[in-house]
Amino acid sequence: MKDKRWKVWAMLAPSLSAVFLLMVVPVCFVIVYSFWLRAPSGADIPAFQFGNYAKFFQDFFYPGIMLRTIRVALETVALCLVMGYIPAYFFYRTESRFKPFLILLVMLPFWISFIIRTLSWINILGDTGLINHVLMRLGVISEPLPMLYNEGAVLLGLIQYLLPFMILNIYVTLEGIDRSLVEAAKSLGCTEWQAFREVTLPLSLPGVSGGCLLVFVLTAGTYLPPMILGGPRNEMIANLIFKRVIGTLDWPFGSAISVILLTLLVIIIYTYNRYLGINQLLKNLR
Amino acid sequence: MARKTEDHLDRAYEKFTSGAMSRREFVRLISIAGAAAGLVGGPFGYMTRRAWAGQSIRFDGWGGVVSEAFRKYAFDPFTKATGIKVVEGEFGDMDTYLTRVKASFPPGGEFNLAHLSGVFDYARYVKLGFNSVLDETKIPNLKNVMEAMMKPYRAITNGKLSAVPYDYGQTGIAYNTKHISKEKAEKLGAALLWDKDLKGKLGSWGDWRTNIWYAALKTGQNPNNIKDMKAVWNALREQQPMIKKYWGSGAELMSLLANEEIYATVAWSGRVAALQAQGHPIGFLSPNNCYSWQECIFVLKGTDMAVAQKLLNFMLEPKCAIAVAEGQKYPSSLDPTKVPMPEAVKKLPAFDPTGKLKGYLFADPNYWNGHQVEWAEKWDRIKAGA
Amino acid sequence: MKPLSGWSLIRLYTIAVYVFMFAPIVAVIILSFNPQQFGSFPMESFSLRWYVKLAHNRPILYAFKNSLILGSLTAIVVTAIGIPASLAFVRYDFPGKNALNTLLLMPIMVPEIVLGVALLLFIRWLQQPKSFALLLIGHVVLTLPYVLLVVQARLVGIKREYEEAALVLGANTLQTFREVTLPLLMPAILAGMLFAFTISFDDITATLFWATAQNQTVPVKIFGMLRNSISPEINALGTVMIVLTVTIPLLAGYLSRRFARGSGENNRDKQ
Repeated sequence: MKDKRWKVWAMLAPSLSAVFLLMVVPVCFVIVYSFWLRAPSGADIPAFQFGNYAKFFQDFFYPGIMLRTIRVALETVALCLVMGYIPAYFFYRTESRFKPFLILLVMLPFWISFIIRTLSWINILGDTGLINHVLMRLGVISEPLPMLYNEGAVLLGLIQYLLPFMILNIYVTLEGIDRSLVEAAKSLGCTEWQAFREVTLPLSLPGVSGGCLLVFVLTAGTYLPPMILGGPRNEMIANLIFKRVIGTLDWPFGSAISVILLTLLVIIIYTYNRYLGINQLLKNLR
Repeated sequence: MARKTEDHLDRAYEKFTSGAMSRREFVRLISIAGAAAGLVGGPFGYMTRRAWAGQSIRFDGWGGVVSEAFRKYAFDPFTKATGIKVVEGEFGDMDTYLTRVKASFPPGGEFNLAHLSGVFDYARYVKLGFNSVLDETKIPNLKNVMEAMMKPYRAITNGKLSAVPYDYGQTGIAYNTKHISKEKAEKLGAALLWDKDLKGKLGSWGDWRTNIWYAALKTGQNPNNIKDMKAVWNALREQQPMIKKYWGSGAELMSLLANEEIYATVAWSGRVAALQAQGHPIGFLSPNNCYSWQECIFVLKGTDMAVAQKLLNFMLEPKCAIAVAEGQKYPSSLDPTKVPMPEAVKKLPAFDPTGKLKGYLFADPNYWNGHQVEWAEKWDRIKAGA
Repeated sequence: MKPLSGWSLIRLYTIAVYVFMFAPIVAVIILSFNPQQFGSFPMESFSLRWYVKLAHNRPILYAFKNSLILGSLTAIVVTAIGIPASLAFVRYDFPGKNALNTLLLMPIMVPEIVLGVALLLFIRWLQQPKSFALLLIGHVVLTLPYVLLVVQARLVGIKREYEEAALVLGANTLQTFREVTLPLLMPAILAGMLFAFTISFDDITATLFWATAQNQTVPVKIFGMLRNSISPEINALGTVMIVLTVTIPLLAGYLSRRFARGSGENNRDKQ
């Protein structure tokens, strides 16, 4: 038993040490900073006070941004799931020769810098962009449709960024499902749809939930889509942190907001791991 | 399968995974460590060590055409004359840069010279203790710089300088001449940005200073001494629903105007000049008490002053200053009565041929920096529609 | 096997998703040939002007090289440490497993700005200068959660019976891992490496704070361009990258098919 324990820690050691040094310790700095004060010059004064946290909750403005962020994150997860499951299933079942190529194609958009991609949505959705141009030419509308600088545009930008994560997560899990199980179900009289529902779908859940978690967490921390594609009312919590830390040089308050966000996400992920996590699902499948 | 088999499997599995994995992992780690050491010891590591040895000096600027001009007319000649290399860095905005400076390895380590924007920024760096003292006798080209520009800096650092003024500009109002006539723009002035006819076609910068400044102008107040802050906030609240987008960068500003997403907005004079040069129908309005500002080359604490002063002298050479002015479209700090300027520079918006900068209203750094936290936060709320 | 209507719908749906994903890409490619700087449609003419400029733009090309090197190294390192860690979580039980699993997923939970500044504070406290190694380890830490999630989800589905069968049949431990576990895990490993490379390549915020002047990457340079204007050379760069990314795997696939005919298909049937 002791032998086994040692091996486990050896396998975990590199990851743990990297994360500990480069993340846990710096985050501790952030936590400490959240209790400090900001001097008028922008320098930081060591202290121990909860003023920054109190400031966050003093009225509805900041918590409102947090709630909005969570809402947008959930919407993004739902949309990515709906848009992503079927392509993942397609990759799984297709017998096309181009399969690896098609899968690679999903990641292709990342080779163009995120900023460029996001800015190019402006060329498509803008008042003089492609869609409005075509619609006006066809006479469908007489005034350009305002498709930019609202939540829809931000969601579009987010989905475009996060969809590949969802698709690949689901696909990788689907690939691992024993096809003979599906065959067995069919030979027992199931239709294609029933076989999918009873066998494939449940077995794909680890990938689905992994994908959902990833998309949720990533959305909660983004600031570029709201910054480039959003209007004034679409700001998310990371934009706020950006402005406080970099704009006002208010590191203590920015740290406090980060700690709040972090706590929220930790709770969500821990709950996920406990009840829906990989290990839990594994036990259920046995 | 029974529990017994699982245990058996467990043990068997773990025996080979641990054996196999450790070996693989070990080999991998060794090779990675070797590669990493090679890289750190290789060209990248070498560069870092060289910097410590004082054989180079670092300059951070805005990149693009400006950097090209600096490189051609200042850095390369400097390196040729002294053998010291100029290491260049870039930043997208002042605040990110200041954050990096504040978080960087203390004095003289990483950042040396920077192309800062705004007197208030100079003040910020001084308040944080990041400034140095320039020996002006070592920078002979300083005699060509406008006195009016050096005055605000001296006021902050007790008559001494920690930077040399480099260029200046204005944040005026840009408007699309196809949709807004020059007469209308000149008649309304700052109020153009509150024009109900332009609802949904207005833009603004996200920056709190600029917006509060213009709201002060609209409510007929002196921006450096606002008596009725409530009126300012109300004006901004009134404007917010009419704004299509609060842009955050020069690229966005130019894109919004060029694509006619917006017809009017506050705008940096240099960007408008660039749009005009490309043939877009954009006019530039400089209302009374237009928001004027200047940029400087700041020398951070801990820098090797002898090297820095020499480099600054190269950068203040008329050839270099003029090339930079033409590149970024902001007039140079060199006095046009002492140094002849080419037509291209004379035509730039915000250019002052007298060299006295009379009538240019600059922001009072102490006033604005003092209100930063309070006003920036309140502005954030209003901007979000609160 | 596949009911025609059901499968056609699935295919159409996938195509629609592709169209959505690629719309901005296509816009970028088309605009890279637009001689005007602020292109919107319709395009006036067709020109290779930006490609020429790109070929002469040394800083961008240098940054591109940096991005490639950094991305590749990140992918290799993070997979090397991520696979053992995933194995530990999926195949073993030990106290605090859930907590540690959450901990290793933390890098994606912390907004990059916070991570960026926090790490700077830490190394300032350590009085260490920035370096390429730091940037690399930073990217490894950032991409680790993705690799962990993907590999773990896949590992869950690999039955231990396969490995046991191989052992029983006389294979030693290394052979079993190489012949049984690794091939089954391969899609996840490749996906993980692909993720890691991509994220590292496209990372802006953290790199903005951690990169030294010599190690500028492409996204950081682009971010810096925002002040004045984004040069359309970037559209050209993006197009070049896409062409490269598309042709290289195609070429590799074609070559590997020529030299290893049949073995690829057979392995899949063994499942």
